[in-house]
Amino acid sequence: MSLDLHKIALQIDNVASRIQQKEFDRLLNLESTLSLFNGASPSELEIKRANSNIGFLVPRILESMSSSYPCQDTPKDYTVLAADGSHIDVDRHLAMQCYLINIGTVLIKYGENPGASLTNDPQLHTNENGLKITDEHSSRHQDIEGPLLGILRTIEEMKAIIKLVEEADKSKPILALVDGTLILWGIIGQAYPGFVRKALLENGIIDTFNQLRDLSRTRKLALAAYVSLPRSTEIVNLLRIDPAVCPYEEANCEANCGSLSFGSRPCDSLTGILDRDIFSNILAEGERSDIFASTIDLHYGEHAVYFYYLNTGSEIARIEIPKWVANDQELLAMTHSLALDQSNLGHGYPVAISEAHEQAVLTMGDREEFRSLVERYLGNKNLPVYTSLKNQSKKLKWL
Amino acid sequence: MENKDNRIGEVVEATTTSFISQCYKLYNSPHLGSLIKTGGPYPTYGIVYNIITQGIDPSRKPVVRGINSSSEEEVYRLNPQLEHLLRTDFYSVSIGYIQGDNIIYHLPPAPPPIYSFVQKCDGLDLINFSSRLEFIKILCSSGIPALDEVISAFIRNLADSQQDKENFLINVGKELIYAFPGDFRKMESILQKVLS
Repeated sequence: MSLDLHKIALQIDNVASRIQQKEFDRLLNLESTLSLFNGASPSELEIKRANSNIGFLVPRILESMSSSYPCQDTPKDYTVLAADGSHIDVDRHLAMQCYLINIGTVLIKYGENPGASLTNDPQLHTNENGLKITDEHSSRHQDIEGPLLGILRTIEEMKAIIKLVEEADKSKPILALVDGTLILWGIIGQAYPGFVRKALLENGIIDTFNQLRDLSRTRKLALAAYVSLPRSTEIVNLLRIDPAVCPYEEANCEANCGSLSFGSRPCDSLTGILDRDIFSNILAEGERSDIFASTIDLHYGEHAVYFYYLNTGSEIARIEIPKWVANDQELLAMTHSLALDQSNLGHGYPVAISEAHEQAVLTMGDREEFRSLVERYLGNKNLPVYTSLKNQSKKLKWL
Repeated sequence: MENKDNRIGEVVEATTTSFISQCYKLYNSPHLGSLIKTGGPYPTYGIVYNIITQGIDPSRKPVVRGINSSSEEEVYRLNPQLEHLLRTDFYSVSIGYIQGDNIIYHLPPAPPPIYSFVQKCDGLDLINFSSRLEFIKILCSSGIPALDEVISAFIRNLADSQQDKENFLINVGKELIYAFPGDFRKMESILQKVLS
């Protein structure tokens, strides 16, 4: 049966009324949050942060926290690179055990000799070339599917970016743009065994970061991740430990407030406020915020994630950069000006990321075609093309 | 013999009577009424009757980009990816084919295969092709849109390559009388366009 829209419409209407009230409360809270933000002492907050045991993610303040920085000159000649991926997960109802990763890549040159290259590279993985991550020191292995496949896809995107950098003209500034975040969130909270974490981090994403860092020594190359409509609350979390909110000298959340219910803790007044709400009131069009260091610990080393917020004129975006970019004023300014330029050229969203996505995207039609192709090729070789009865039932939709 | 320099695109859709070609370069289509030639087992002559430029992905509509640009060229310079996201196709009506050393003024036995190379015809091709005028009848009965405009543009192209232009146009006029018997106004309209 199809969805009963009449029944669901009433439920949506009820929720919308509650959201309206919450939004009213949030706007009231936002005003006091802004006063708090503007009056906060970065040095005091940083000392308290360093000495506390906080139950949420609070970034490190580097210098100030409420300054804004205008965009410096945008280079006329530059290259922007982006990669994005899409995948078809392992499907036990399919006649062949496999997954497919489609990596879309974009290289756009601006300036005197403009040009572009837009490609996609679908890679099929089967039992023959790896459906598992194996431990070289034991017989242990981990099947690649679900969230793990998503993480591997991110690593493949970074590998594609490395290739693009090697192809790009090294005499011109290069911005490598990633959609989303540099933090491998998928690995956090997952109890993957050590050999899997090593494959994903040390031999995976960190290895790609190392290669990019090496390439950056011979050309003006910066890596940045662009988060559109960020829902981060890390800066708001900083304010949660401000003495005006958190009365304790050391913010030890579990010890001080662990017994209090949600909503009755002193810092709960900040619930619902996002970082972008603050910076939309601080940053003028084209300006960036101060830089903050994420305290999430994935042993990234010199690639530790730093971030700032950018008012693109269309939205407040979050830009994540590795430490080696943040520490280089020239590269930092480049991420600022070029991310802004890309956003302007792309009607509010970086054109390179947008086109990489278009190259990578797998539509429902593509997925169906892929399934048919697998069945046709297996059939051509007289191999059994069997599927589950459940899948057949879904296809036939008999009455 | 194919001249590689004249190659401008490939056939991407073909029927018994017409075919669509995609240009290698955006906007690099032969003009309306141009004579073109395909490869394949029955190299086919076609006349361009429609040119269309659009997004490669039909689900993505072009949007305005130049409000702050000083020129149309700047729009493309600032958006180099557009060359790869737009495509120019041209539609051609089939009016003959090559068999051995001869030009046959009938529809080809089979349409050109997909991905057949398409090339612009040079002056010598035009002279050879127009040595006989039977193509006029096929063209006039093809039912393509803006028929008068396409015929007149094609005849103008052919006339420019003739040594005796006046005699050529007289002969064309005679063929048009046969093609549109009793339809003096149509003939007049075509000839006026040819001579303008």
